[in-house]
Amino acid sequence: MKRRLNYTGRKKIEREIVFISFKRQNGKVTDFAVNKLDINNLNLPSNAKVYVEAYYRTELKRFDFGTAGSISNPSPCDLRDMAYPENLKFRILAVDPMDDKLLAHADRISPEEPAKKKPILPVEFSDLGNEIWRVKYEGDEGSPILVINSKIPNIQNIAKQDAQFLIYVYPHVIREVLTYMVFVDEVDSTTEPSTNWHGDWLNFIKHFGVQIPETLDKEDKENFNEEEALKWINDSVRAFCNSYSNKFEECIRKTEEEHHD
Amino acid sequence: MINLRIMLPEGEQKFREYIHNLKIDPSTPRPDLNNMPFSKEFSPLIPIDETGQFNSKLEFAEYLQNCFDQAGLRREEVLPRNGLWTWLAYIWFDQLAPITNPATAERVIKEDAKYICSSDYRDYYRHLVSGPYSIYSLHGAENSRIFLYSRVNEHNDFIEQFASRQFIISHKNIVEAIYRLYFDSKKRQPKEGAQTRTRPGNIRRFVRVIQQFELTYDIYTMSADSILDLLPPEFDEWKNRRAQVQ
Repeated sequence: MKRRLNYTGRKKIEREIVFISFKRQNGKVTDFAVNKLDINNLNLPSNAKVYVEAYYRTELKRFDFGTAGSISNPSPCDLRDMAYPENLKFRILAVDPMDDKLLAHADRISPEEPAKKKPILPVEFSDLGNEIWRVKYEGDEGSPILVINSKIPNIQNIAKQDAQFLIYVYPHVIREVLTYMVFVDEVDSTTEPSTNWHGDWLNFIKHFGVQIPETLDKEDKENFNEEEALKWINDSVRAFCNSYSNKFEECIRKTEEEHHD
Repeated sequence: MINLRIMLPEGEQKFREYIHNLKIDPSTPRPDLNNMPFSKEFSPLIPIDETGQFNSKLEFAEYLQNCFDQAGLRREEVLPRNGLWTWLAYIWFDQLAPITNPATAERVIKEDAKYICSSDYRDYYRHLVSGPYSIYSLHGAENSRIFLYSRVNEHNDFIEQFASRQFIISHKNIVEAIYRLYFDSKKRQPKEGAQTRTRPGNIRRFVRVIQQFELTYDIYTMSADSILDLLPPEFDEWKNRRAQVQ
């Protein structure tokens, strides 16, 4: 869903000022805590009501966090009656008590779990017949998963360490994911995309110093430029390859050695 | 009666193959997956009437709700069990994919997600067993009617348009507003034309308007009446038809 419209001057609660974490018992999520919710700089009326909502699929549970002038952390924020606690996302709202209009909002916040950093491209091994690899878009919110053919001997080690595998496979995977993201899934914003995995991949590419076009939203007919988007994808793949130039050289060296032998 | 079981990965694979094979050869015999390693018994034991016939999704969901209630199981304990829903689709497969031509045993087989319960966020609500239960157990018998009026094997536009949208389907007040706006309680089915794209105030327009409200108002605290009052004039016809029915 496109979320660019803002006719009411609703303020954005930046993700950096929110920190939510799960609490667990015997490994299972039981409740959550908001460790940080610093909305002072938004200049909201002190009587604005603040709510945190946990949701996933058909489920929604709201927690009252007091007012902008006096945030109170209810304890415990019990999630034991939710069917999919591990998958929950969070929404934060500041509401004008006079007319129930939203004054500020943040959505799709994932709880921070520092111990378990989530990879942007999980890898699975399964029988792919005569294909070596394939990307399926069946992760959270349709995020990509790299599937590698389990029939290939020693493939788990090869996928992790082999320079040839890295330079042969990963650039194509990146090209495929970025192309899918822009031309199939559609990126609604380059600064705050509504789909989390788009944001993760944009950050990943930014990390290589590649300038992101103003828009990658195909539906933004005025500003979207297909050539520019394709160039961005090519530049991203090139930048990734450059960052692994040592692997490329290692691969060339090995090939030369084999040739001389 | 048969005790409720959980389909295991081996069983899911066999069930998937069976569904695919039926498309090629409608006389493909149904594999027996009611044993290990294909499925395992659910605990606590819950007897299920595998011969039960259901006239609508609503009856179907009501039956399951009663089974789980009697076993003291809550919604959140059964919903995430994908194998449970896949097994239920397996035992009621003849109702979910009925034979349309007795001479050839041909059936209309839909996509896998209708029968095999998926974790994929794009498909989960399409499952023909877990989808109705998930709506019924949250919204109750009355307001669920707008989604569950149709036959057990039919996926209707109300489910596709509303249940696929997390914000809408998770808000009881929005669902009540949808029910009151579009359900004809005399005919016990949706009002004619509600799904017609060219009609003002049709269900797709409702989705659009709610998506705007979502970022403007604190919908959660509103009553269904307040939501209906906020709707623009293009919905008046549906509101008036509501008044006439009442």
